[in-house]
Amino acid sequence: MNTRPDHVRELLAQSLAAWQVTGSVQRANGTILVRADAHEIRIAPAPPDLPFRWMVTIDGRTRGAISLVAVLRQVRAALDPGYAASRVRIAVPS
Amino acid sequence: MIQVSVLTGFLGSGKTTLLRHLLRQPAFARTAVIINEFGEIGLDHDLVEASEDSFIELQTGCLCCKVRSDLAQTLADMLDRRDQGRLPPFERVVIETSGLADPAPILQTLMIDAKIAGRLVLGGVVTTVDAVNGASTLGREEISVKQVALADRLVVTKSDLAIGTQPQLIGRLKELNPAAPVLRAHYGALDPRRLFDAGLYDPGTKSLDARSWLAEKAHAHRHDAEITTYALVREEPIRAVTLALFLETLAEHCGSDLLRLKGILNIAESPDRPAVMHGVQHVFHPLAWLERWPSDDRRSRIVFITRRIPRPWIEALLDALDAEVAETEAGAIRRRVGEQLQLRG
Repeated sequence: MNTRPDHVRELLAQSLAAWQVTGSVQRANGTILVRADAHEIRIAPAPPDLPFRWMVTIDGRTRGAISLVAVLRQVRAALDPGYAASRVRIAVPS
Repeated sequence: MIQVSVLTGFLGSGKTTLLRHLLRQPAFARTAVIINEFGEIGLDHDLVEASEDSFIELQTGCLCCKVRSDLAQTLADMLDRRDQGRLPPFERVVIETSGLADPAPILQTLMIDAKIAGRLVLGGVVTTVDAVNGASTLGREEISVKQVALADRLVVTKSDLAIGTQPQLIGRLKELNPAAPVLRAHYGALDPRRLFDAGLYDPGTKSLDARSWLAEKAHAHRHDAEITTYALVREEPIRAVTLALFLETLAEHCGSDLLRLKGILNIAESPDRPAVMHGVQHVFHPLAWLERWPSDDRRSRIVFITRRIPRPWIEALLDALDAEVAETEAGAIRRRVGEQLQLRG
């Protein structure tokens, strides 16, 4: 589907702004390329025979990601070393 | 379920005066009050007289700093003593925070501590603002801004002393928290029913107190330096999986900067029963399901109160996750159809 990379490109561009990271996000041939802080990150749809949706290559190292949630986690960990993720907690039912 | 309301506001903003007036009202009988005083010698509890049906517990130290252990334990003890008949059978709890307290951890504790959360329900946040000093305090003290931004009701106190400056202050409050009704207390006097009906969702009546925060005016983007309030509106139903991924990502990336989130949702799997969502920082209530839509408006509406979280990121996140989930569903359907065709062939 052609719209998917556009959503991903927009999400990553907005993510850089939200994290206050200076960089660029481009789309070429179905791949998203993020350049920021001397890092180069490529995000491409995973081949159909792999149990992932995305392949994320950060500075030459490639890992799979099962969803955009995982993509964002990997990208932020690379670009924002001070980032400490919070885990969602569900309140006790009333 | 016993409703717990949080009464907050900056130092000297009139919390204790308001509380003293409320506790004299018949409608406010059977109220347990927890007063959190900061400092070695507390005075506030001496200034509040409780009726026979009400009583006061005192906590020293900053409630928001020691909140998880102390507040939860205090509330659990109160419930135990109530059950044993050693305390009056209170029907409501009011927590008066210290003027320097951040209300968010207090709300979180009420939501997640298993000892208390099953018996107590958050009744809303009431924030007092001093008409004389409120504007300058808001300009100077970040915690004061947060107290206002998190409120379900705002009470302007000492309004008899600052008649000329009130339009400016009211305007400022509306910028910070357009969804919270602004009430005026005259020497602490105010109808308590207008204050403490502020819970997002009443599990007893299964009704939604959402008129104020779902009002159109609350959808406008307002901002103050770092704290912003905005609403996300979606015409199309949201898939349950999309919502789960959305909340997971918000919690993961926003943490304490997601001050508060409230919403009514049209979930694709439950089109006739809207879901009510409520979160504080990375803690979310389980969805509460209403029996029916409160009006003809069936759009999903989520109100965000955030610090430094840009609205375009929130929108891009929801759009991208929804597109991904839709694709996954479509792929699964294609595979099933393919398998069935192979079986028939």
